[in-house]
Amino acid sequence: MGARYHERGTVFGRHQPRPRQVCAGLVFFMVTYETHSAQAPSPPFGVNFPSGATVLLCVLAATLSILMPPAAAARTVKDQTGRSVNVPDNPHRLVSLAPNITEIVYALGLGDELVGDTDYCDFPPQAKSKPHVGTMVNPSLERIVALKPDLALGTPEANRRETADLLERLGIPLYGVTANTLAGTLASIEDLGKILGRAAEASSLVAQMQARIDRVENRIEGQPKPRVLFVVWYRPLITVGPSTFIADVIRAAGGIPIGENLKGEWPRLTLEELLPQNPDVILLPKTESFSPSTEEFQTLPGWKDLRAVKERRMFFVSETIERPGPRLVDALEELAGVLHPTLALKTGERQ
Amino acid sequence: MTFRATPRNVIVVAGVMSLLLALTVLVSLTLGAVHLPLSQVWAALASPGTNSEATVIVREIRLPRILLAILVGAALSVAGTGLQALLRNPLADPYVLGISSGAAVGAIFAFWIGGRIAAASPLAAFIGAMITMVWVYLLGRHGGRLASYTLILAGVITASFLSAVILFMLTLLSTRDVRGIAFWLMGDLSVTPVAELRILAPAIILAIAGLYVFAKDLNVLLLGAEEAAHLGVNVVRVELGVYILASLLTGIAVSASGAIGYLGLLVPHLGRMLVGNDHRMLLPTAALGGAILLVLSDTLARTAVAPAELQVGAVTAVAGAPVFIYLLRKTGG
Repeated sequence: MGARYHERGTVFGRHQPRPRQVCAGLVFFMVTYETHSAQAPSPPFGVNFPSGATVLLCVLAATLSILMPPAAAARTVKDQTGRSVNVPDNPHRLVSLAPNITEIVYALGLGDELVGDTDYCDFPPQAKSKPHVGTMVNPSLERIVALKPDLALGTPEANRRETADLLERLGIPLYGVTANTLAGTLASIEDLGKILGRAAEASSLVAQMQARIDRVENRIEGQPKPRVLFVVWYRPLITVGPSTFIADVIRAAGGIPIGENLKGEWPRLTLEELLPQNPDVILLPKTESFSPSTEEFQTLPGWKDLRAVKERRMFFVSETIERPGPRLVDALEELAGVLHPTLALKTGERQ
Repeated sequence: MTFRATPRNVIVVAGVMSLLLALTVLVSLTLGAVHLPLSQVWAALASPGTNSEATVIVREIRLPRILLAILVGAALSVAGTGLQALLRNPLADPYVLGISSGAAVGAIFAFWIGGRIAAASPLAAFIGAMITMVWVYLLGRHGGRLASYTLILAGVITASFLSAVILFMLTLLSTRDVRGIAFWLMGDLSVTPVAELRILAPAIILAIAGLYVFAKDLNVLLLGAEEAAHLGVNVVRVELGVYILASLLTGIAVSASGAIGYLGLLVPHLGRMLVGNDHRMLLPTAALGGAILLVLSDTLARTAVAPAELQVGAVTAVAGAPVFIYLLRKTGG
């Protein structure tokens, strides 16, 4: 998948505090601190450095700042979208620009290091009380700058290329992950774990998720595969293309997504094409005010003759199916249960 | 209200408007998704060396956007004023000749053929605008000179054809690109780098100055082409000059910020209400007034639903249509 914001090289901003600058700042701070404390009365706990010690520390810090190569606190890596990003070694002020990334950050135990997320980041509930930087497509740059992040996390599935360009220009590294499959979601979690210094946590999370995916796979083996229509939009009818990860989750849950032969991510489908394909199951996203109820479908011309409508196998699936994060396996288990009602899959190791 | 367009009056009006613009810019600099007290804004402006967040926000996020709003606002308003006089039609705006649609086709075409380089879009948009300008000119020429009605019809039909081309191309783009293009089509001031401002500013200022040279001729042209010719105006030269300069201004503005609507239609009308019909007075008033209005609109776009942002084109359209209707009712057309 060409999941890229753009193909330019990264121009590192000038607002990246380099180790040299940090050390120089430290020296400056100590010098000014001493000047101030020399004029002020001594603090009660004697934090006043003797002048000689301060000089020594200054020399030490200055030497360190010369010896330390600038690359020590940051490294340049290629992110999943192919951009070169200057990622700090131990990022501890993160801004997430997509709900699935926020979920991953929390799942890796880094909720406290998240200093900002989007208006749409609603899981876990604590994410809602983080400072918001706006929407995914149009976040406020100045909010992001004011949060002083050392790393922003985004995804071309939700964010605009322009946002990546602008952040880059402002010297805020944006690390992008992309997931178009179930396996890709696991890979992006693993990748974020490495970038954020939580490789072990990420591996164990991914192992758990993989175990649940394998379990679903084992249970559905040999089961008949229902033909599934995922309704992205109802009028005109838009479904998912074979390359989207909703289609991938449907396949993993033991279904055959209708639209395998269609092109594009969100292909349109006419009723004429739909009728011969005759889906066994129809899935609708759980959003209000967009599609008719199951009963209404039974009166709609064309639709009422579909097997799924006649047998009332129409289901509203939760939005986690559209979020390539840790809860995607929940959606997978839920969907497998819907597609194979006899298997009682939904119970089990849900966390 | 009408002022006689003596040099002194022009300078006084332009001076007052410039002060208003400066005030607007100051207010706009202090408003945004992040609250910054006036003292910090001032410090950020006064000392460029420091790297505090306030400095970055003021100097690298707000200021370039405000400067772009000034340039684009002035360009669109002057282009609109020039075209309304040239076409002798109060409904003319910078987009009536299809130039913005041509720019959009160029930008989308750049996306389409896979030019994912950020700088390619504005350039392709400008090339699209210029091709459209020449095309509409050739269509709108009648008997060796520009005929107002033929030109309008040529522009309208070209715009509508190009809109169809845009829709066609949008159906073939991926969802991600469609989203980006949709924002661009709405008008967006947030994406222009400072380096581009250095090219835009002299180009727009030169084109506005060029149009001002024709101010007196435009006054005469309002009487009609025949009458203007009798009064010694080189009609062919004036029409061609105004046509090219207004198209250039539109093309540059649209390439930089997408199609920001209503400004170029509305500001000439507001300007005429303020200072009357003399283009020596009207053109600077429109330039500065357009700059003020666009800075205000963009400030609203940045702050209304903060931290999310509105598209400035959506703001000007939502605010512009009612204002236009009000003007229409008040002045009786």
